[in-house]
Amino acid sequence: MLTGAPEGRLRKFKYRGKDTAVRRQQRIAVSLELRKAKKDEQALKRRNITPLFPDPASEQQTKAVAINLTLQEIINGVNASDPDLCFQATQAARKMLSRERNPPLKLIIEAGLIPRLVEFLKSSLHPCLQFEAAWALTNIASGTSEQTRAVVEGGAIQPLVELLSSPHMTVCEQAVWALGNIAGDGPEFRDIVISSNVIPQLRALISSTTPITFLRNITWTLSNLCRNKNPYPCERAVKQMLPVLSRLLQHQDSEVLSDACWALSYLTDGCNDRIGQVVDIGVLPRLVELMTSSELNVLTPSLRTVGNVVTGTDHQTQVAIDAGMLSVLPQLLMHPKASIQKEAAWALSNVAAGPCQHIQQLIACGMLPPLVALLKNGEFKVQKEAVWTVANFTTGGTVDQLIQLVRSGVLEPLVNLLTIQDPKIVLIILDIISFILQAADVLSEKENLCLLIEELGGLDRIEALQLHENRQVARTALNIIENHFCEEEENGVTLPALDQDPEFLKRLAKKD
Amino acid sequence: MAMELSDANLQTLTEYLKKTLDPDPAIRRPAEKFLESVEGNQNYPLLLLTLLEKSQDNVIKVCASVTFKNYIKRNWRIVEDEPNKICEADRVAIKANIVHLMLSSPEQIQKQLSDAISIIGREDFPQKWPDLLTEMVNRFQSGDFHVINGVLRTAHSLFKRYRHEFKSNELWTEIKLVLDAFALPLTNLFKATIELCSTHSNDASALRILFSSLILISKLFYSLNFQDLPEFFEDNMETWMNNFHTLLTLDNKLLQTDDEEEAGLLELLKSQICDNAALYAQKYDEEFQRYLPRFVTAIWNLLVTTGQEVKYDLLVSNAIQFLASVCERPHYKNLFEDQNTLTSICEKVIVPNMEFRAADEEAFEDNSEEYIRRDLEGSDIDTRRRAACDLVRGLCKFFEGPVTGIFSGYVNSMLQEYAKNPSVNWKHKDAAIYLVTSLASKAQTQKHGITQANELVNLTEFFVSHILPDLKSANVNEFPVLKADGIKYIMIFRNQVPKEHLLVSIPLLINHLQAESIVVHTYAAHALERLFTMRGPNNATLFTAAEIAPFVEILLTNLFKALTLPGSSENEYIMKAIMRSFSLLQEAIIPYIPTLITQLTQKLLAVSKNPSKPHFNHYMFEAICLSIRITCKANPAAVVNFEEALFLVFTEILQNDVQEFIPYVFQVMSLLLETHKNDIPSSYMALFPHLLQPVLWERTGNIPALVRLLQAFLERGSNTIASAAADKIPGLLGVFQKLIASKANDHQGFYLLNSIIEHMPPESVDQYRKQIFILLFQRLQSSRTTKFLKSFLVFINLYCIKYGALALQEIFDGIQPKMFGMVLEKIIIPEIQKVSGYVEKKICAVGITKLLTECPPMMDTEYTKLWTPLLQSLIGLFELPEDDTIPDEEHFIDIEDTPGYQTAFSQLAFAGKKEHDPVGQMVNNPKVHLAQSLHKLSTACPGRVPSMVSTSLNAEALQYLQGYLQEASVTLL
Repeated sequence: MLTGAPEGRLRKFKYRGKDTAVRRQQRIAVSLELRKAKKDEQALKRRNITPLFPDPASEQQTKAVAINLTLQEIINGVNASDPDLCFQATQAARKMLSRERNPPLKLIIEAGLIPRLVEFLKSSLHPCLQFEAAWALTNIASGTSEQTRAVVEGGAIQPLVELLSSPHMTVCEQAVWALGNIAGDGPEFRDIVISSNVIPQLRALISSTTPITFLRNITWTLSNLCRNKNPYPCERAVKQMLPVLSRLLQHQDSEVLSDACWALSYLTDGCNDRIGQVVDIGVLPRLVELMTSSELNVLTPSLRTVGNVVTGTDHQTQVAIDAGMLSVLPQLLMHPKASIQKEAAWALSNVAAGPCQHIQQLIACGMLPPLVALLKNGEFKVQKEAVWTVANFTTGGTVDQLIQLVRSGVLEPLVNLLTIQDPKIVLIILDIISFILQAADVLSEKENLCLLIEELGGLDRIEALQLHENRQVARTALNIIENHFCEEEENGVTLPALDQDPEFLKRLAKKD
Repeated sequence: MAMELSDANLQTLTEYLKKTLDPDPAIRRPAEKFLESVEGNQNYPLLLLTLLEKSQDNVIKVCASVTFKNYIKRNWRIVEDEPNKICEADRVAIKANIVHLMLSSPEQIQKQLSDAISIIGREDFPQKWPDLLTEMVNRFQSGDFHVINGVLRTAHSLFKRYRHEFKSNELWTEIKLVLDAFALPLTNLFKATIELCSTHSNDASALRILFSSLILISKLFYSLNFQDLPEFFEDNMETWMNNFHTLLTLDNKLLQTDDEEEAGLLELLKSQICDNAALYAQKYDEEFQRYLPRFVTAIWNLLVTTGQEVKYDLLVSNAIQFLASVCERPHYKNLFEDQNTLTSICEKVIVPNMEFRAADEEAFEDNSEEYIRRDLEGSDIDTRRRAACDLVRGLCKFFEGPVTGIFSGYVNSMLQEYAKNPSVNWKHKDAAIYLVTSLASKAQTQKHGITQANELVNLTEFFVSHILPDLKSANVNEFPVLKADGIKYIMIFRNQVPKEHLLVSIPLLINHLQAESIVVHTYAAHALERLFTMRGPNNATLFTAAEIAPFVEILLTNLFKALTLPGSSENEYIMKAIMRSFSLLQEAIIPYIPTLITQLTQKLLAVSKNPSKPHFNHYMFEAICLSIRITCKANPAAVVNFEEALFLVFTEILQNDVQEFIPYVFQVMSLLLETHKNDIPSSYMALFPHLLQPVLWERTGNIPALVRLLQAFLERGSNTIASAAADKIPGLLGVFQKLIASKANDHQGFYLLNSIIEHMPPESVDQYRKQIFILLFQRLQSSRTTKFLKSFLVFINLYCIKYGALALQEIFDGIQPKMFGMVLEKIIIPEIQKVSGYVEKKICAVGITKLLTECPPMMDTEYTKLWTPLLQSLIGLFELPEDDTIPDEEHFIDIEDTPGYQTAFSQLAFAGKKEHDPVGQMVNNPKVHLAQSLHKLSTACPGRVPSMVSTSLNAEALQYLQGYLQEASVTLL
């Protein structure tokens, strides 16, 4: 989820041009969220659900063997020595765990079934039993962290990994899924799974003949092996996975593509070295291509990944720009979905945090009009990112670029946003205004700009902000008023006029 | 020390509390002082709590609660590096009892304790007060709505800061904690309260309490939802929004009030709901979308059915603001675009709310200060008119054509109504002018720089045919509202109306300074002030002194006369206009100065009895400064006349310790003193010892002005001080020592020190020099901040210039062997890039040049290895951008954050002094100076300089250096 850490970002205001390393906004995993988790994020864990109305054929097949058992019957059956009874009970348990609503994960765990299920994984003579057990464990592991932990502590990982080389593809596939759920829980289990040497085995399962549903599962599990930070997956594992992901990225199936992109987005969500590894395998052109996908589940993670890449070094950003990201971004800024607009604006804000050459490319690709449109009409969360973009632009751009920014009409929506109920954004806008005014001062254009701001109703708003309850906002507003809008009480001494740039004046006045 | 919780002590405390209520200051003050002197004792707060709970005397109870709150306010916060002012046991006891006490107290006391809780909460909640939330939530179960409202009020004061603080981990952790504990009980309470409202719908007193709860609950909703949309509230949006919607449409006769002014509970609740809906619409659009149309309809209906009474103002303006923020969102455009809808909004919502109401008329006449503040200074954010204007602007975003069309019809018909019978229908004209003003300023933004009319009206034509006639009418007191409107029109469109028309209006405005109506003469003064500040081409004022010359006498007369009109004796607009007129007219006012200065000093004397209008006072002092400057520029000897006129009043101000004015007095005195060309007059010298009194320096607000004045003393009277007041030099250095000890004021200390170094005869400070350096080093070690470092660098270089490079080296090495090298290596070379300011940089450049070229130890001791690095850093100072990085830990050092922050220093612009350049005469171009000095050095020891330069200076620096040498036409031998 896109959580700006404004403090970090704001830093760059104060230390303009000082430390390019801190100029970019990393996506920081904030454990603190007041909001609901986002729907368009990738699932951490997935349960294998039996369709509510299974097709009658298979229903009939199984009816003969598995009637609905009570929990006690299941417990008895699972603990029986007869493999058939075990199978029936396991299947009944799996069905319970697979029903659409209220699967009894807790009950099954409390009934102590996990150790037996784990044992069944090893009964290579009974692949059907292995399959049912793996499925049941998959669904238990899809639960809360505690429930996943129960599966891990039941010793499921090793036997599941062994099932990856099962000759029965369904068994194998279910094991992949179960491992995916376990790895998805967090860095601790992820690393246990990785250290069970699972990656080479997964890689071996991929071939041109792998059925598509199976391939999707493998990709998803791989993505979970890439997921989570603190710590990140180890370097060695990443190196093993990257070529596989690169290959999967060439696939046509949108789910495979989606999960491969998510995997890359996790790997790029970090320090520049991590980003560098992904950039170096040469996937950016393909990622940029995927950013034009009409499938939201492909577009979202590919955009996310490219967005992450441009939080990296100037060089890494340059690679993304060279791959054509800037020519795709304008259409994404205008995407009907606000979450995409926001993500695109975020990526743009990080390009704007780069050197002025990058800012120049951003202008050349026609990014200013959609940016201004977002500031005007975007949803609040999108406007917020757009404001960051302008802030970065202002601090890093040349005077000429600032002129273009002002001419693009950015001040009007910014001034309007001064009434937004978010003190941080208000503060940033004040900083932007103050910065532009300073630049205008150098060009002896301050008065025109002040006039413009006043006419936009900005002066009224800035004056009102002097009474804001947030002291920093109030003080910044006060400073702007004092430094730029108070009549100079000239002490009979006229200051020598600085170099006039009549062009600037004309261009400003010509604003259409 | 602990005070016993005894009856005797309670009795004593009661006595003193009683005395603090005495109207006689001779009784009151000592009692207050006594209480302050014992408040540091253990159990003091508990004694207060006991009194407010158990005293038999209700007055004492309330007094104890107020005293307690103020005590908490002053002492609860633990300031770093300062002693903890409340002992831990008292803190624990207070926290354990206060909630219960608050809830069981009568309302008057409850409010004080609730405030105290929120002050404590701000410091201690949640970490150091973990059970507060549970304790509060548990009270929801009590069913006693007096208690519940107490809890809600406290919660509101604890949580309302979520509305204005920046997102931070700490803040969000707290909010999360609050949400976990509070959101569900609050929701349940909300539902239960609404149900109780319907079961008690016939019981007025029950309803009043329940509605107070609903208001507080709605406020809490706003605070808790401000930072982001919490998961809980997203999941429960249905409950909240449906109920909010119902409450918006609810009416109950029992809750209607007869009061026309004060908003009733129903109005307060509905306006808070409008705020809540607006918050969601603005920030959580995606989630709120499906509820929004219903809210638009409900709020719309609310507006159409709500009356004109003042009590509805907040509700109406919040409701309109809601519509205004929604109508400019593209995806809600469809809710408004129908022509009938638009017409109906204009007719039923906008026009009625722009009308001049009886209440406005009352305010215009009886509460003009408030009226002016709302109307002129844009503090009309919550007014109906402002909201209506914002709605017009919002609608214009998508529907400018139709909206303009509808309104021009209105403007015309209202003007026609007025023309039929002005004395009855003048309000129609007022509304017409108001509409034009609000619509035209919209068009202005779209057509920047175009002075011509928008589609609604031609601004200049409107000015000539509808504004000027009113102002030209012989009777300045007729239709005052329309006069005020007309004058305001001039102010607003002063950039659009051509200059010749403005020039015509100047005598009219001067004439209106005589109007009886406070609003009218205030507006006239303000308009003149605005016009006089306008800029024409070449940055000169638009109106020249020559153009105003014909009106000088009448202008000045009317301005000062206006100060004698009832209600305007301290009118800041008039005083500002006086100041501005002086500034514009310059020499033209000299003939009038004797009368003007008499009137100003009389005014000063009068207001110094009880200074209450800070702006008025500020402009008055500015006007005094201007009189001095303008007069003495032409005739420096006239300074004596000013001293004669002013010193009597100044003495009185200083003797009576009029705190607000003291910084001003010092600035004016600095200006006067600096005007003297010869030696310092004895009248000033008599004051000198008094300026060093510690008590003056205790007040932060005095410091800059005092330093400025001492600098003036040093500049003009250093020899007199050295000869006649040498015993005061330690006191002077004492001030310096006090100032540099403070992170906030250390730069002021350096100003003083630099003046001492620059102006005092060297022998007079000889004995103190080493001590000065030691003090500076101590501060450098104990807390080295960038600001201090920058000042320190400037100081040592100034010292080097004044006393010589060798003297600087010797004084360092005299403190500790090899210290000079350390200072060079650890401070000057690495940090010099941080120095900011033209003169400061120049001082450093010249100082370092001296070190390089006039300091023998730099050439032939172990310091020699630092020669080239020092040169390199000097070239860096010339050529590289300034290093304005500030270490992380210094972010929050702020003058205003220092404890004991008092009145801010009010700097007088017209008492300002020119930037002083102590090396100005000596060195014009520091780069050339460096080249020449190096050349001189190289002639003294041929061959050495070129080799030192070429072996270790980097290539880029070398290139710059060669540039300087070329510019100075010298070579290195």
